Amino acid sequence: MEFVISHLVKSYGAKQVLKDVDFVFEEGRIYGLLGRNGSGKTTFFNCINSDIDINSGEFYFSGNGGEKIPVMPEDIGYLVSTPTVPEFMTGREFLKFFIEVHEEITPDRTIDEYFDYMMVPEDDRDRLLKDYSHGTKNKMQMLLNIIASPKLMLLDEPLTSLDVIIAEEMKNVIRSQKQGRITIFSTHLLDVAVDLCDEIVLLHNGRLEPIDKSNLGDDDFKEKIIAALRDQDDA
Amino acid sequence: MLNEFRKTLTKVIHLRSIIGYNGMVFALKKTPLIGKLLPDRLYSTRFLKVIFWIFHIIVEAFKLFIGKIFSLGIIYLISLGLKTAYMEYEQAAGVTETNLFASFALFLFLIYALCGIVLRRPMFKCTPEKEYLVFMLRMNARKLDNTLFIYDLAKLVIGYLIAGIIAALCGAPFWLWLGIPVLAVFIRLFGTGLQAFSFRMKNKRHKPMRSSFIGWIICLTLIIFAAPFVLIIVANGYYVPLPVLFVVSALLIVLGIFGFKELNRFDSNLHRRALRDNIVRDEISEYKSKQDTTRSFKKIKVKGTVKGDKQGFEYLNALFVKRHSRMLYYKPVVFTVMILVIIGLAVFAYVYGYYRSFGLDSSLNMFGRNLLNLILFGHYEDTLMPYEEDSAFMFFRWLVQYHLPAMLLLLTAADNSFKSTQAMYINCDNSLMTFSFFKQREKIIKLYDIRLKQLIKVNIAPAVACGFGANLILFYTGGQDYPFQYLVTILVSVFMSIGYAVIWLSLYYLFQPFTTSVKVKSGIYTGVSVIIWVILSIIIWIPVHSLILAGILLVHTALFVFLMRKLVYKFAPKTWKVKS
Repeated sequence: MEFVISHLVKSYGAKQVLKDVDFVFEEGRIYGLLGRNGSGKTTFFNCINSDIDINSGEFYFSGNGGEKIPVMPEDIGYLVSTPTVPEFMTGREFLKFFIEVHEEITPDRTIDEYFDYMMVPEDDRDRLLKDYSHGTKNKMQMLLNIIASPKLMLLDEPLTSLDVIIAEEMKNVIRSQKQGRITIFSTHLLDVAVDLCDEIVLLHNGRLEPIDKSNLGDDDFKEKIIAALRDQDDA
Repeated sequence: MLNEFRKTLTKVIHLRSIIGYNGMVFALKKTPLIGKLLPDRLYSTRFLKVIFWIFHIIVEAFKLFIGKIFSLGIIYLISLGLKTAYMEYEQAAGVTETNLFASFALFLFLIYALCGIVLRRPMFKCTPEKEYLVFMLRMNARKLDNTLFIYDLAKLVIGYLIAGIIAALCGAPFWLWLGIPVLAVFIRLFGTGLQAFSFRMKNKRHKPMRSSFIGWIICLTLIIFAAPFVLIIVANGYYVPLPVLFVVSALLIVLGIFGFKELNRFDSNLHRRALRDNIVRDEISEYKSKQDTTRSFKKIKVKGTVKGDKQGFEYLNALFVKRHSRMLYYKPVVFTVMILVIIGLAVFAYVYGYYRSFGLDSSLNMFGRNLLNLILFGHYEDTLMPYEEDSAFMFFRWLVQYHLPAMLLLLTAADNSFKSTQAMYINCDNSLMTFSFFKQREKIIKLYDIRLKQLIKVNIAPAVACGFGANLILFYTGGQDYPFQYLVTILVSVFMSIGYAVIWLSLYYLFQPFTTSVKVKSGIYTGVSVIIWVILSIIIWIPVHSLILAGILLVHTALFVFLMRKLVYKFAPKTWKVKS
């Protein structure tokens, strides 16, 4: 399965944020979407998640036989950088509700096993979500997306402002979840992208461009990415 | 030095103009419809900037007129009126007209100027241009504050000198209209010096400056208490002699010199710290005001859970209601209790009046018999409580018979649907909207149905209470006109309350107007709401028999719910989302 974006354009007034985006994402890989501040990473995700209307172009899944499969809301899991959770529920209540409304899913774990998997502290599980820390809210959001098991996972800077321990735990979870789906991980932190992702894609000047790692070591690869971002900026 | 002053002032005025112009363009671009038509290059259009600059100058001149010329001009005109009156009634024997005028003018001016000291905006108030210049562009805070202070003094002197023309025309001596601007400068020096002194003292204890709110209260109280005495003095022909006023003025001039010295020793660091403290204060008040918009929605009950076998969205809604019970039920419950108390008082007055007229035995007998009649046959004997055919009661009866739509007014006060949708958004949907399942058509309509039932339940108690209130009027004024009229009246009230629940919930799903601070930010939503209010306020005035109204409302409610469900089902997956 592939996720195909074809001639996607998004403008705000006269400003074109996404200009003719063309790209094919493959299943089982984590794509690091790198771009400078304001390059349009969140806009790109919002377009894919249908939170905002696009001006032109299309995106769809391409089956193994090459057939076009339309993207449905349930196909997408979207992790926003500032997690918002229903504050009036406890973590356990939220998880129970979430599993119940996803009738199509047969959970392979109990609620506590899910919490254990995401390393949500025991004393947090029956507290209101409004009292959760930023990191635990993030974990909850990730957990729900894992349970929903979407074909396409959009992660919008999910490691921003997490402490090193939680960030490492999250990275491991993201790695373990990459099989059977396409994961696009946006960040402006080069080290995180190189460490976690199988492919690096630059969003620059409104277009997506892959950076070929070839036989380069991590340091050389980083140099190459920075040079590419700089070149395009100067262009 | 003059050159420095001119340079600094030019920078400030230029920056003020830029802030004003960009702020105006920004506000225009945010305006619905017009905003989209305006191009970004408006920010850099030189021609418009020049026009704004001219406008800015006119506003400055206008402020000068209003603040200085107008206020002092009024003082001179009042003095002229008082002088003329005193002369006409020969109240001030042995005083020349000129001196009497000067006495009144100086007296009133001193009161005005002293109030000004208390009320004036602090010199160290950190305006946006001060913030940019001092904290971003690293300008010397003292130089900036002093420049603006001198600019203010210059405006003061020019304004008061212009106002002096009025004084000269009123026959004031030249020393008065020339002296008042000078005196004003010293009083301003005293007032500002006092602010500096106050800050310097407070700063030692690390306390920022206070706003002048307390000053307003003091002044208002002084004026309220002083006014009668001033009137008595005037009525008796008294006035404050000029020598006394001269002494007070001299004292103020001395204090002004002290003020000047205080300002002189107020160094650059203190200026900077005073400005910084004021920024902090502004940020805190801004933070508090931001908090206010969502604070009432954050009162979530921690304890309690949902019992029974509720699942999925039923479970979500039950939990939501449980944790927001106070927010959802407070208004309807208070309203219902108020209506029931009024009904209770009316019944008590009714029974008590009967007891007074016929005595206890007779009234118990009659009351019991008629209650039985009422329950069995829906009417009572007219002898129970005679009422006057042409009394105001008949007007209320007519309202219940033919003007039940007027009950919309009461139901509007009781309805809590709008606030409920705000709570739904800020505490629940806002976060769940990031999950894809929440945007699925079938799931949206499922939750919509559950919530609609919930809102109808919340509204039903006040609606029934209103219906009971209307029935009480009907009962007291002769009973029902046709069988089941009492029931029909209650049903009409309930149908109308259902209408409110459907309107607010559907509008929320179709336009989702709320921001993360729960403010409405949708032109269409506001427009549709206004149209609905206009329609409702017209409906209130339409006379219609209660039975016909019940029939109309029955059909209308069924059709309205059907239509709104269809619209929500079709459009909500696109429209019901977080406002970006």
